[in-house]
Amino acid sequence: MKSPATYTESELGNEELLTVKGFKVWFPIKSGVFQRTIGHVKAVDGVSFAVKKGETLGVVGESGSGKTTLARGILRLVKPTSGEVLFEGINVAKASRKEIKLVRRKMQIIFQDPYASLDPRQTISSTLYEAMKIHGIVQNKPEATKKALELLEKVGLSQEHLYRFPHEFSGGQRQRISVARALAVNPAFLVLDEPTSFLDVSVQASVLNLMKDLQKDLGLTYLFITHNLAVVHHMSDRIAVMYLGKIVELADKDSIYHDPKHPYTFQLMSAIPLPDPEAKKKEVLLEGDVPSPVDIPPGCRFHPRCQYATEKCKKAEPKLAKINGHLAACYYEIDFSTGKVIGEKADE
Amino acid sequence: MAEKRAESQPVLEIRNLKVNFSTYKGIVKALNGVDLKLYSREVLALVGESGCGKSVTAQTLIGLLPENASILEGEMILNGKNLTKKSKEEMRMLRAQAIAIVFQDPMTFLNPVLTIETQLEEVFMLQKNLLREAVAIQKAEGDVKFADLIKAKSAGSSQTDKGASKKETKKVAKKLSIDLLRMVKLPDPKRILKQYPFELSGGMRQRAMIAMAFARRPSLFIADEITTALDVTIQAQILHLLKGLRDRIDASTLMITHDLSVAAEVADRIAVMYGGNIVETALTRALFRKPFHPYTQMLLRAIPNILNPVERLESIPGTVPEMINPPPGCRFHPRCPHAMEICKGERPKLLEVEKKHEVACYLY
Repeated sequence: MKSPATYTESELGNEELLTVKGFKVWFPIKSGVFQRTIGHVKAVDGVSFAVKKGETLGVVGESGSGKTTLARGILRLVKPTSGEVLFEGINVAKASRKEIKLVRRKMQIIFQDPYASLDPRQTISSTLYEAMKIHGIVQNKPEATKKALELLEKVGLSQEHLYRFPHEFSGGQRQRISVARALAVNPAFLVLDEPTSFLDVSVQASVLNLMKDLQKDLGLTYLFITHNLAVVHHMSDRIAVMYLGKIVELADKDSIYHDPKHPYTFQLMSAIPLPDPEAKKKEVLLEGDVPSPVDIPPGCRFHPRCQYATEKCKKAEPKLAKINGHLAACYYEIDFSTGKVIGEKADE
Repeated sequence: MAEKRAESQPVLEIRNLKVNFSTYKGIVKALNGVDLKLYSREVLALVGESGCGKSVTAQTLIGLLPENASILEGEMILNGKNLTKKSKEEMRMLRAQAIAIVFQDPMTFLNPVLTIETQLEEVFMLQKNLLREAVAIQKAEGDVKFADLIKAKSAGSSQTDKGASKKETKKVAKKLSIDLLRMVKLPDPKRILKQYPFELSGGMRQRAMIAMAFARRPSLFIADEITTALDVTIQAQILHLLKGLRDRIDASTLMITHDLSVAAEVADRIAVMYGGNIVETALTRALFRKPFHPYTQMLLRAIPNILNPVERLESIPGTVPEMINPPPGCRFHPRCPHAMEICKGERPKLLEVEKKHEVACYLY
């Protein structure tokens, strides 16, 4: 079977499994005796993208960029402020409880910390059974046990692990159990929220391989969220780069690394430490820190840290638009090898 | 440059260091005979996965092992002095002067209720000699920079002004503080001196910690996962800073990290640890070009590399050894594809197989 990356657009039928439009998640900041809202943390501030069936869309960003809130918002684990999340004809952002239950059977999430995401007082068997029972996947216990054994085998564990408790497992094994629990309800779409950042590199490799194998075998679609740029490149077909609650660039994985269009993407990519002491690196350092999502700079939110920023960038925010096959939110087209601006988008 | 440095005498030598922890489950054999040399002005990265003993090595060096730990065997020699024989009080003085350490999470080590100025001043006040030297330079030349003090230390030609008044020393301490903050590239150092740790971002706190560490003119600087909690762009800034400071600070650096890519960026030499032992040490380039130990080889193939993408990563079968009942002989043998009968017997010694390239494996 071909990996999803090798399919052309027509072969994939361009079928979009998930479409996110103008998605916002704001958290109110309350203060004073009457708990008045004095401002908002704009964690996700207007994000639009689509995930095609069978692909892996990577989302990268630094801490505070809103990538985890985006993941939780898509699954309605936090309440979105506005926007749409379309999944199989249901707008998850506005769905009723009944509809959400239906959607959650098809959409599952794997969390970062395998020590916190498994119930310490439930055996693996009952953890898996609970998920299946809630969603009506199985009718009785024997059927559930049979299915649980299949699941364990799928994620590289064995029968002997079924009646053990989470504390008896290592981090990598726990993450495999989380995967088994997510797969227990036969989902089509998985959100992976930093699934390997708690794991050692040798274990990370095996979990990443497992995720790739499962995608191939079960035809799963992934939204892969991480801050590790090397891992996201390894796993994804396309990558979205987030900065302060917005997507600043979206393109296929190789062109985002080798030919970035947004100044932030370029600087992020050159900050990756490479496991090769002889690699020639461009020494570009991004000055300063990420601003607070409460006080987002006006205009382009990257302008205070951008060396190419002009007056125009301070006034209005550039929209995510096509630049040579990429979607990038920048007014200028820049040749980063020379550092020169070679084109400018016409005013809208 | 790195090669030249490694020619000199070791500043620090660890020989056959064994450390045990007694826990209610049993005795954890955390360090199982660590041998390590750190040469003058070099950056040595100690790389390994969690539980391999890299942080215990650092804790042992600075004399901050928890109560339930004991050093069974071995010695640690820093500038000709045996650290294993020092009393608690002597170790405390060493930590104030010769050895400096920066940890992963700066917030736990900065005092939240004191300004950066007070905290830096405290470091200086513990070092009366340094301040007296600074006052002497100030009087002789009308100005004093931290770089002058470093120069004076490496030249060994320090003059002290014993009659310096308290006011004078305080003034000099402040001057040096500003200079140090400028050296670690903190913007607007005068304002930062007046700020509390919570007002600084993670990257800035780490810079402040580095400034405090270097304020002691240490001969050994230990960086324990200092960029792990930071974002990539901030990590790049800190690594760049360390690279730039290395030639200006007369210190040897022991950098502890789990990330081989970070080690590749800054280290002159790398020591790979596994299960409480050093299994391989080599110059950074040599290690990546031609790793000898099977563990190093597998570890390098397990990390995704953007420059050389592969469809599948290689994972290391099995898990990190349990340190209460570790496997006999080479602790890697249960996971090693080349394991032989001899590997289960005695632990292989760290031997030089190529120039400056040591491996602990029976294959060589």
